[in-house]
Amino acid sequence: MAKIDSNASGSKGAFDDADRIRSMKFSLTDMLDRYGPVWVTVVNLTCFFIIWELFARSGAINQIFLPTASGMFGTMFEGLTNSAPPTAAYSGQIIDHLTYTLRNLSIGLVIACVIGIPAGLLMGGNKYIETILGPYVWALASLPRIALVPLFILFMGFTVKMQITIIVLSAVFPIIINAWAGVKTTEKSLIAAAKVFGAKERDIYLHVVFPYTLPFIISGVQQGIGRGLIGVVIAEIFGGSMGLGFLINRAADTFNSELMYAVLMLLVIVSLSLIKLTSTIEKRVAPWRQQLKM
Amino acid sequence: MGVSAGGIAPLQGVDAGQSPAREPVIVSKNLTIGYKLHRERKLLTALKDINLTIYKGEFVCLLGPSGCGKTTFINAISGLVPPWEGSIEVDGRPVTGPGPDRGMVFQDYALMPWRTVESNVRMPFEFQDLKLSKAQIDERVARYLELVELTGFEKSFPYELSGGMKQRVGIARALATEPKILLADEPFAAIDAMTREAMQSELERFVTKTRQTVVFITHSIDEAITLGDRIVVISRRPGRIKEVIDVNLPRPRFDQELKSLPEYAEIREHIWRLVKDEALSGAHGDD
Repeated sequence: MAKIDSNASGSKGAFDDADRIRSMKFSLTDMLDRYGPVWVTVVNLTCFFIIWELFARSGAINQIFLPTASGMFGTMFEGLTNSAPPTAAYSGQIIDHLTYTLRNLSIGLVIACVIGIPAGLLMGGNKYIETILGPYVWALASLPRIALVPLFILFMGFTVKMQITIIVLSAVFPIIINAWAGVKTTEKSLIAAAKVFGAKERDIYLHVVFPYTLPFIISGVQQGIGRGLIGVVIAEIFGGSMGLGFLINRAADTFNSELMYAVLMLLVIVSLSLIKLTSTIEKRVAPWRQQLKM
Repeated sequence: MGVSAGGIAPLQGVDAGQSPAREPVIVSKNLTIGYKLHRERKLLTALKDINLTIYKGEFVCLLGPSGCGKTTFINAISGLVPPWEGSIEVDGRPVTGPGPDRGMVFQDYALMPWRTVESNVRMPFEFQDLKLSKAQIDERVARYLELVELTGFEKSFPYELSGGMKQRVGIARALATEPKILLADEPFAAIDAMTREAMQSELERFVTKTRQTVVFITHSIDEAITLGDRIVVISRRPGRIKEVIDVNLPRPRFDQELKSLPEYAEIREHIWRLVKDEALSGAHGDD
């Protein structure tokens, strides 16, 4: 190898290098590779907000419907930093509503995981449990959860309990179904290999089925977060006196479009951060799955 | 013994010239195995009346078309599948389940993707107690990783390795517990042709070193001849033994121009005639 290289750089090497350099041209893809998607996204979003700002200022659409981007960010910043008492203007307390919503969402998601993960694993592992629970899981999973909100309001009133119930019901089914599918699709050859090398029933569940299912569970939780967020906002819009959903409703009632857009933007940020968080966890826990996805 | 159905043994005759010192390790008597087809509510016979004795230190290749029950036979030896009729014995005892005396190499490697190379090779020691100390196990794992030339890749994950390297992990895992019997189910079928030849020669080297009994499934005639001491040709489903052929070519076989030997051509021609019909009708193989 080394010898061939030295030969090449002796007589014809310079020519080869020149060829190589000449063949490099800057294209958009090169720029993407060089500066990375992060910077492209920063530029992209900045352009988006600038265009929004200019468009809103032009007055083409009434500012009651479309506020300026700067107005929205101002309201968001003020609402997140200003710890005005709850009796003041609603824009002063976004932070309180945000923590309220996030707290309920977290409680709901934890309950959904505590119920959903074991339920899914059991359904995948035991065909009797699967046959018995299957119809209920599919029925409830396919029922639009919003349809249940009036029922729960009837049962529990406009309470936190009602809201958390809706979050749990929204989030639990993707978790159950993913864990279930993970167990069912565990590669047969991995189980056979474990058996050949002495694994007992318990070892197979612990050392083959569970690790294989883990990334499925994580993506179930990821879907659960999305559904749970829908659940929490719906619960708050329908019946609540706190939370981001309530705030959207109140902003609409008071024609406060800056507040409304600020809350919508916050929901996007919350949702994206939670999804990013779970995919980071997935990369940590199951680096081998990343490879399969590509 | 595996006397062929109607085949006139062309070379040395089946089981001819065996020394009385040969010690049987795997004995299969009238072995019949199949599967339940739940959807069609049928029982499918995969293997029928297999009579075969495999001796200590022998390298036996099972050759046959797809879906002929080769894998079923190896699964019966490993204890993954129980016999329907007849019996299968290892070391004089009927097989009731997997055991540390048998290691296996899989066609699709069957490495745990969440385990590192080192951890995959260590797995058999975790599931079964081989009365070894932690230090002894560490030494074994390191030694067999060195044997398959994967030193330096201990912390890699299977998805970071090439097909050939993955299978070397599989081989190290099967050999590390030092089983008496090595079972291999088309281990090189998914590996590219150039790597395959290298792996075949490595496998010959490993088992010459360890003196293991090897049962090796393949559907490649050349692979069977270059590796096997005996070749068991199996018919299409339900799989029966068609003929057992001795291969008395000198070893190590990868040091010589094996394919130019007249004996090689002779065996190849003979086997090809045996499997031609099977292979041609097996174009619809479902395995």
